[in-house]
Amino acid sequence: MRATKMTKAISVSKLLPVVMMALASLFTATAQASTPGITGPAFNLSAAPAYLTQPDGAAVYSWGYGCNGAPSGFAPAAIPSASTFCNVMQVPGPTLIVTENTQFTVVLTNQLPSSAGNTSILFPGLTLVSTSGGVPGLLTQEATSTSPVTYTLIATSPGTRAYYSGTQGDLQVEMGLYGAIVVLPASVPTNCSANATTPPGGLPFSGANGVAETNWGEKDFRLASAAYNNAHACYDREYLFQFSEMDERIHSQALAQVNATAGCAPGVAGCSLNVSTEPYHPSYFMINGRSMPDDMDPNYAFQYPHQPYNGNPHMHPGEQVLLRVIGQGRWQHPFHEHGNHVRILARDGNLILSQTAGTTPDQTGLAGPLLFTTTTTPGLAFDGIFYWTGKGLNWDPYGHNPKSSDPSATLACTPDANGYNTGAPTAINYYEWCQDHNKPVQVNPFGDVAAGGPVTLPDPNIFANGAWYGGSPYLGPNATLRATGCSSNSYINANQTSCGQTGSTPPSGTIANSPSGEAGFAFMWHSHNEREITTNNVFPGGMLMMMLVDSREFVIDESM
Amino acid sequence: MRKLHQIGLLIAFISLATGVARAQSFRVQCPTSTITHPATIHDNNSEPAYTGPTVLAPDTKGFLAPSANVNGAIKCQQISGGDGYATMGDGTQTYMFSFGPLSGLAKIANGQPGTDSPSEFNTLNPTSNVLQPGDPATTAGAGGLFTFNGAVGQVPDLDNGGAVNGHVDPRQMLDIGVMNGNIPAPLMAIDEDDEFFLTLSNVGMIMRPDLFEQHTVHFHGYPNASAFYDGVPDASVAINIGGSFTYYYLAPDAGTYFWHCHITPPEHLQMGMVGQLYVRPRQDRVTTDLYTSLQAQQGDLRTACNSATDILCSNPLPAVNTSATGAATVLLGGTSGYAYNDGDGTTYYDVEYPIQIHGFDPNFHFVGMTFNPEGFTDMKDKYFLLNGRSYPDTVTTGPMQTQSSDGVNHFSQPLPAIINIPVGKKALLRISDLDVSEYQTLASLGIPMQVIAINAKLLRDQAGNNMYYNTNSITLGGGESLDVILDASDTTKYPSGSVFYLYTPNLDHLSNDAENFGGLMTEVHVN
Repeated sequence: MRATKMTKAISVSKLLPVVMMALASLFTATAQASTPGITGPAFNLSAAPAYLTQPDGAAVYSWGYGCNGAPSGFAPAAIPSASTFCNVMQVPGPTLIVTENTQFTVVLTNQLPSSAGNTSILFPGLTLVSTSGGVPGLLTQEATSTSPVTYTLIATSPGTRAYYSGTQGDLQVEMGLYGAIVVLPASVPTNCSANATTPPGGLPFSGANGVAETNWGEKDFRLASAAYNNAHACYDREYLFQFSEMDERIHSQALAQVNATAGCAPGVAGCSLNVSTEPYHPSYFMINGRSMPDDMDPNYAFQYPHQPYNGNPHMHPGEQVLLRVIGQGRWQHPFHEHGNHVRILARDGNLILSQTAGTTPDQTGLAGPLLFTTTTTPGLAFDGIFYWTGKGLNWDPYGHNPKSSDPSATLACTPDANGYNTGAPTAINYYEWCQDHNKPVQVNPFGDVAAGGPVTLPDPNIFANGAWYGGSPYLGPNATLRATGCSSNSYINANQTSCGQTGSTPPSGTIANSPSGEAGFAFMWHSHNEREITTNNVFPGGMLMMMLVDSREFVIDESM
Repeated sequence: MRKLHQIGLLIAFISLATGVARAQSFRVQCPTSTITHPATIHDNNSEPAYTGPTVLAPDTKGFLAPSANVNGAIKCQQISGGDGYATMGDGTQTYMFSFGPLSGLAKIANGQPGTDSPSEFNTLNPTSNVLQPGDPATTAGAGGLFTFNGAVGQVPDLDNGGAVNGHVDPRQMLDIGVMNGNIPAPLMAIDEDDEFFLTLSNVGMIMRPDLFEQHTVHFHGYPNASAFYDGVPDASVAINIGGSFTYYYLAPDAGTYFWHCHITPPEHLQMGMVGQLYVRPRQDRVTTDLYTSLQAQQGDLRTACNSATDILCSNPLPAVNTSATGAATVLLGGTSGYAYNDGDGTTYYDVEYPIQIHGFDPNFHFVGMTFNPEGFTDMKDKYFLLNGRSYPDTVTTGPMQTQSSDGVNHFSQPLPAIINIPVGKKALLRISDLDVSEYQTLASLGIPMQVIAINAKLLRDQAGNNMYYNTNSITLGGGESLDVILDASDTTKYPSGSVFYLYTPNLDHLSNDAENFGGLMTEVHVN
């Protein structure tokens, strides 16, 4: 059943209020992401058709890999099993979580329409030990509608990789036959598991992040303590993003031909598709199979039975965040991470190391570039590490005020050897950059935040607020409420003024980052080929997600 | 496309209408003294030499403040957000949403960064020198010499004893700012350790009064940015027409960054709201041994880089100590310098050129000018721009002007893309790409390109080995930058008078719409 499909710009403007209401209704939900997937060592996959939903209301006929029966397990365990599912078709395909040097099998059953012909999976970068079943194809052994194929594989190095169809790829990959493999390292460097304190069911950390998570009641959503067996590959949080695009015409043409040949016998003349995959004119640009804002809904959200994975990264200051990024589809996309640079660790599971790594003095050995725009390339996966600390802002983003009566405003900041407040993992300002501690940004006092800084903020009457604006320049609900809520009576009396002079978020319905609840720092992570942050001609949409840096008071729940 | 922001704005207008107005809408900010740069230690109107890390001591107010060895200074700039017209390589006048200069006007017209020190920025325009709409083009057109570099509009605040405190006369700002959009947007350059006060004044888009559009500044690549000053309207605030917003930054690590508006990016970037910004390294202020100086930077945790503990350490000590000594030409007012704090002198250049790659889709711009919703998936650039110009305009010296719909000429394309290298010398190209629809390749016919940095970070592994490489072409997507050195020191190969070309091997981009010769190309002259 197809929903209304918008194809002309004119009709879009008429329908936009509807789209916007849909957007607004979604802003209220706070969802987070992680790297959810299924575990082996035996994976029983299907390739099957279904419809993908898009935020403009379109339902696009697609093909995808899925689970042929219940998988042997889901990971990470911190996502409640009641919420997980793996349907017979999903886009991207199930994320296969395996361990380095451990043999695993993938059985592929072809449930595509008979006229679609055979299908298969390529596993670039992995060792294909053997295949059985199916029939030989051009690039690999293929599954027919009656004969599944079994691939026996082994990954000889850790990291993130792509898998995708090796049969008529121009059509089958476009239709959605792709997915990710996460290979966990067989052993983790000792420094990455130095601190065993962790929430129940969690893994050891390199630092005190497990202490902080335990204190705030947060879960550990990682698949491992390190991405690679390298002292610099420790991480505190991880996210997987797969970039792809769709040309709706190809999908409709495939559907029309599939319907016209319904029930035909495989191999019989005429039981085949002849879909033109050029010229290529995509109008849907997706992260993990969803367009913005759908990508920011939870993993396994019930409204996307065939698009279970989201793109909605959250993190706390100082957390080392592993980004696993794959280019699927056929175009390159300049993926811009606002907020900081990314250290590229590896490409297709190959660590990028210095030519002098291992020699004395071996400082780290890493040689991957630092990038603020990480191009995604079809078939290419990379791993990188990102963090945000606020270092170098030259003002205190927590809005600490030594004269305040609020204990949270007078927290201490004791710099470690690198200048961060890491000695107090249970404090709101764990990992604060201490050099700017208590340093004001504003010339004039606002609420309970100190004056004497360099800049005067504009009058709130002359600016517009964004849906993800936390309500003040400050990080976290405590600082934001002190800045805007006038917790200081002396300030109110002295200035004879109302509160909230730094502004507040718009009326309810469009608050995605409320001043009293989350008040994180929101950063847009998006394709910098900006026309790709649209959904079928409508902005905002497409390859866009908001990353939130959350103060420690806010509990990040990646299962949502 | 109509957008979410405007609905939000309507709601904001309604909900804020009863609020307390207590500040002037247009205003500029350029303090002469701050916590970080107390005028009592250095006057902030020039860059002090770098002799060691800043000494910080607890202030009575509970934070750390410099007590000696203050590094960097204060820099200020004002820009307008609005619209304007530019002339394409085939002579077509194209409508733009765009930023224009509202300070450093004479410098921008001369192809230089419009960034001012406080003494320049706070210089008032003499009342005898009435700014004309279209200036500096209007004054230049009448045979006059335009030299004013201060903040347009700033006047004595008579309510405060005539103090120069950011109070403005909006008439001057509108006379200069309206229909005065530039492509690329005003050039900005700051030095590491500077505090940068960037004021955006929204003068409105005269050709599109239906849009009542906000604008923002996104400092692309700013590390550890705050959401508030990141310029993303969804995650922060955006200034309405008739208002000013001052963005505040402590200059980040040296490198080639860039900036752009972040309102409805596929529209505002395509329409021309893209500009260049670079940060000069501390090493430009060093007169002694570079390696020792980079070691000294480890003495301040903010400027330190410990690759053993910091995975984003951007600038480790070089593996080889070359004993190079600083040229410190920035202190002397020369054109040469270093691109990064290399510690070994390997990023030295004699001349530098910011080059921005962009593309215009004439259909999108026409639709955008004529009150119609633009489609995004059909976007197809037909003009391929280096610093807002297509060949042969790229090699035209001086500012290019276009008559806008106000009947007045404006210097809407101030920045040539011609590269002049003194014989035997080295040129640094600070290349950024803000094309919104496709990847672009730029090739060098002749002098090889030595890529020394990508995305504002020195190409150096964490063990200190330089990973520079030579190539004859580079490829960038929108939102990327890199630094290239063209080394013409071999005077046999590159004698005086030689001309080489930088051009795109994306051959369909060597065109100006229907003209099949032009596009993304410029010339390198060895003089």
